Amino acid sequence: MIAAAARESRVVGALGRRALTLQFRRAQLLMPTFVLPLFLLAVIASGTSAGRDLRDFPEVSSYLGFVVAGTLLQGALLAGLTAGIAMASDIEGGFFDRLLAAPVRRTSLVLGRLAGTLGLAVLQMAWFLTVALIFGASYPGGVLGAVGAAILAALTAVGIGGLAIAIAIRTGSMNLMQSIFPFVFVLLFTAPAFFPRDLLTPTLHDIAAYNPLTYVVEGARGLLQDDASLGDPWLGLAAAVGLAAFATGLAVLALRDRARRT
Amino acid sequence: MSSRTNSPAGPVAWAFWIRSLGEVTRVRGALVGTSIAPLVFLLGTSGQFGRLSGLPGFPTDSYLSWIIPLCCLQGAGFAGAAAGANLARDIEQGWFDRLLVAPVARPLLILGPVLGAITRAMVPVTLVLVVGLLIGGELTGGPLGILALYVASVGFCTVAAMWGIAMAVIFRTQQAGPLMQMGVFLGVFLSTAYTPQLLLKGWLEDVARFNPVSHVLELGRQATVSGIDVSLAHTWPGLVALAGMIAFFGALAMVGLRRMGR
Amino acid sequence: MASRSSSSHPAVAVRGLERAFKGGIKAVDGLDLEVPEGEIYGFLGPNGAGKTTTVRILVTLLRPTGGEARVAGHDVVSDADAVRRNIGVALQEAAIDPLMSGVELLRMQGALHGMRGSEARGRATELLERVGLTDAGGRRVGQYSGGMRRRLDLAMALVHRPKVLFLDEPTTGLDPTSRNALWREVRGLNDDGTTVFLTTQYLEEAEQLADRVGIIAGGSLVAEGTPAELKSRVGEPTLHVDLAEGADVPAARRALSTVGPLVDCADDARVAIRAARGKATVPDAIRALDDAGIAVESVEVVSPTLDDVFAAVTGSTLEGAGGGAADGETAGVGA
Repeated sequence: MIAAAARESRVVGALGRRALTLQFRRAQLLMPTFVLPLFLLAVIASGTSAGRDLRDFPEVSSYLGFVVAGTLLQGALLAGLTAGIAMASDIEGGFFDRLLAAPVRRTSLVLGRLAGTLGLAVLQMAWFLTVALIFGASYPGGVLGAVGAAILAALTAVGIGGLAIAIAIRTGSMNLMQSIFPFVFVLLFTAPAFFPRDLLTPTLHDIAAYNPLTYVVEGARGLLQDDASLGDPWLGLAAAVGLAAFATGLAVLALRDRARRT
Repeated sequence: MSSRTNSPAGPVAWAFWIRSLGEVTRVRGALVGTSIAPLVFLLGTSGQFGRLSGLPGFPTDSYLSWIIPLCCLQGAGFAGAAAGANLARDIEQGWFDRLLVAPVARPLLILGPVLGAITRAMVPVTLVLVVGLLIGGELTGGPLGILALYVASVGFCTVAAMWGIAMAVIFRTQQAGPLMQMGVFLGVFLSTAYTPQLLLKGWLEDVARFNPVSHVLELGRQATVSGIDVSLAHTWPGLVALAGMIAFFGALAMVGLRRMGR
Repeated sequence: MASRSSSSHPAVAVRGLERAFKGGIKAVDGLDLEVPEGEIYGFLGPNGAGKTTTVRILVTLLRPTGGEARVAGHDVVSDADAVRRNIGVALQEAAIDPLMSGVELLRMQGALHGMRGSEARGRATELLERVGLTDAGGRRVGQYSGGMRRRLDLAMALVHRPKVLFLDEPTTGLDPTSRNALWREVRGLNDDGTTVFLTTQYLEEAEQLADRVGIIAGGSLVAEGTPAELKSRVGEPTLHVDLAEGADVPAARRALSTVGPLVDCADDARVAIRAARGKATVPDAIRALDDAGIAVESVEVVSPTLDDVFAAVTGSTLEGAGGGAADGETAGVGA
């Protein structure tokens, strides 16, 4: 029993390392995961900073430090999506069949891919927070707050990765995975990613209540700014873990279905 | 009998145009990236930052109206950049060699994809405009305003296509795709994208002032922004900016094309 | 459109052609060659020898860094447009847009060469019939087999009735049936007066098609001539006699030495002589052995092949090389 668990954990580790390594070998995947969110952070932080002058905008130490939580969320979404694209690429290229033919548990194939996503997300979050810090963001929550925010975002990346993998397994199409790129932004924009929830338009304010990412970004913001009124970290953690568990389950089910069909 | 003259431009441009239309009708999901993304951005941005229009100095009280021309330009720009990505694919697959050995005037090899991009750009531009107006955007400029918006979109699509094509003929690989998109992204968003010049702060205030795309946006905003009336004063800076950018990036593309065989 | 009238200039004329890349590496280094009108010229060379670079220069895709090249009488640098008007090109890997149908591609190619719509449509129909793709013409090329793509590629190169046709490894990856079909088409085109400049890695293809063969190595031409001339330079045919079991080998050697000079042979039961007259040597050899009372099991004449020529002049062999000897017998003896 213990030996079997150790064996599966080695499989998960190996698949995770492969997923992470390939990410850095495909230049076209690095752009969306490491660069694009920072560009968006730069233009939003500068382009909308006048928003601080709005009457209901909360008191924060730096606008950049407030907005960066949205960047963490965006990074998580893109890391998750690239997991799906990489999975579809494996399926199209035939590598996934090789994995399916190996004597490993189906769950390990999903967990291995998600382990890679988790590793990627941790690196991403550290990168985003550091770059923002260099450019003037302040984190009153300190190192612990920053680590907490990064953990919330990395768990969210696992959740989004699970959803993307489930779609990739069911469709096996790289094209389709790439074309759902814009829809990632639907999830981003229906959460208070860059502006306080109370300042969203009324319709979006109502929709945001049903988006689990709302609680993640608010929780991260609360941790970074050390201000519970901006968001409850525990609620954020519950949302991130819940999403990750639900999405992983979906991906495992999709894989079992695929294995049964083929 | 040999001739020193090239094939007539009209039929050649027509043939290129027809081929580029094929990308729309036959490539599944080809329009998703360029049409859905600006639409998502329109809805998301107006929902997130809608309250910004309440700031003193904002030339309209409808943020949606402010953002519609931006999203039109974004859609047109990405359709233009896609022309570069398609060309890079053609170069990699050897198809472009076939065009290069045809007795066709070299500028036509660029003009063809640009015309195709402009045609494709009409879909996201029109979609954004119609959806934007349906959900509450204001049409303050009348038919002349709409004309100005389409001129701005067509012009910016041309600029983006020339940029993309220049990158394609210089790097000759699809890996340059993110560079093409990033150029458009930066061009559009390092401008008066989110707020008017008056409300910009920090480095973006200076960048946006010198970014010619700010003038192109002003040209397009005559359609929907009540504080920017249809007038020559709001038109000619945009036209001059477009002419300058088209000349610059067109020359860059031609130089790259001429260097291909060297 | 290119006319088919004959003229005084060669179809391809290359003098001291050079092409250096970054780092000073010369892919083509002082190449001279001339292809008269109406010829099929086979351009052979191992990978990296400079043949694709040469073709890309001749079809105006690459500028030379030295020397000059003229195609259909026009300089490939200063008069590139005129060259393009007179050539048809089918490059490696049949670069064809998979999203377009055969008909669409041919009509577009017609437009690129200045044809009117109706003219291009008519020509497309004619060419599809010629290459046997009439039924598949409306289908997207992505659904074509490799052989169909190559035939369509050839048809596209012919839309404007070019004077000179460049075929860069046209049958690489094709099955024997498709390869034979393409060869027939190339011969037919040549019969109609088209000059064909063919690069290939298949020696058999060069032997089957080419009037003359040029072998490039290290960026310059190391041998040129008709296949027969080239093979005769390497050596004469050899006659091999396999003796029946228990035959008197020394007696057989003595008998055959009266027909031609003996050649060393590794097999004890086999005797070999030079056979300058090829197959015509066989009756004399049989008669001499019969007179000596020696029983024979089999006789074969082995001629040098282009592979031997290639090995002799380049020191290497071509991948996928095969080739029948000129006389149709077994090949394989090195020069």
